[in-house]
Amino acid sequence: MSKPDYAEGYWNPFVAGIALGLVLLLTFFIMGTGLGASGAVARTAAAITHAIDPQAVEQNQYFSSFYKPGSSGVFVDWIVFEVIGAFFGGLVAVLTARRFKLSVGKGKSFPASRRLVLAFLGGIVGGIGTRFAMGCTSGQALSGGATMVVGSWVFMMTVFATAFVAAYFVRKEWE
Amino acid sequence: MTGPLYLYEVISFTTSLFVAIGIGFLFGFVLERAGFGDSRNLTSIFYFRDMRVLRVMFSALVTAMLGLVILNRFGLFDYALLLEYSLLQTYFWPQLVGGVLFGLGFLVGGYCPGTAIVGVASGKIDSLVFLIGMVFGIDIFAFGMPIWGSFYKSSDMGRITLWQYFGTSMETMALIITFAALGAFVLAWVAEKWAPYDK
Repeated sequence: MSKPDYAEGYWNPFVAGIALGLVLLLTFFIMGTGLGASGAVARTAAAITHAIDPQAVEQNQYFSSFYKPGSSGVFVDWIVFEVIGAFFGGLVAVLTARRFKLSVGKGKSFPASRRLVLAFLGGIVGGIGTRFAMGCTSGQALSGGATMVVGSWVFMMTVFATAFVAAYFVRKEWE
Repeated sequence: MTGPLYLYEVISFTTSLFVAIGIGFLFGFVLERAGFGDSRNLTSIFYFRDMRVLRVMFSALVTAMLGLVILNRFGLFDYALLLEYSLLQTYFWPQLVGGVLFGLGFLVGGYCPGTAIVGVASGKIDSLVFLIGMVFGIDIFAFGMPIWGSFYKSSDMGRITLWQYFGTSMETMALIITFAALGAFVLAWVAEKWAPYDK
């Protein structure tokens, strides 16, 4: 059997990888730091929670760093702007390739509702993981990996080892 | 012109935010064209069906890594400045535990944060739900700080690279990683032959 529809029509992975690497190289050349993503979600979590209970967030041991006196706002941050750019870059790419489609990515016979529950649970666990690791696939694995940081390689290897070992137990989700 | 420009104060904070939007745009565009807006293409690697994630990640990592080493050689990039001021810090155990949790979240949730953003742009409902889950997860982390706050910043090894850790040079380490990546590409090719989509 050839590749399914959802795996067709993309760039050759090595071409995409080299392009991504050049974007990362440019980022290091200009900023001295790499790409990122989870930091923007952390700031969004802080802002949403702040709208509900400002005091709890400002006094929180983790969130308080986003609300230092004199800061110009929780969203005035490099990574937040980068992620906004990434959204629009993704949008232009998907629209020009005529691939935009409201759908749920899942295994063929797996119920969509159960897939969404798992997406939510995965988000919770992954979200906690990004805070302990201080980054995600972009900030740690890719950016830290390219600068040969010890902790980033520990993180990257652990992520893939865990996922490969656990994959058997959720094979129906992706079959 | 020597990089990093921002650390040399060639560009201001405000300018850097405009740069962020441009860089982010390219980042998101490439992620989509790599096929990373769909959770199925991201998780296929864990079943050896499609090793695209490994190919993209390692070729990106090696490209940027070699680029920085070469620019540093020619005096166009100040790696020493990076090592002193902006390299990511290593916290061994928190990053290992974070890796286990993140690995589970990636596998079960189907995305990582950056690809989920592109998933949302692609109309994938599961990616939006994943991001909402992340917000809850980060809240759990933040309000659990009294419990794990001391662990979070434990086993601090500072700004340390693999070549420093193994007592070799930057160039040698970069070469070793490059060959490891090439080896991984060969293994990936073998794995796909062994586990095609219809198996």
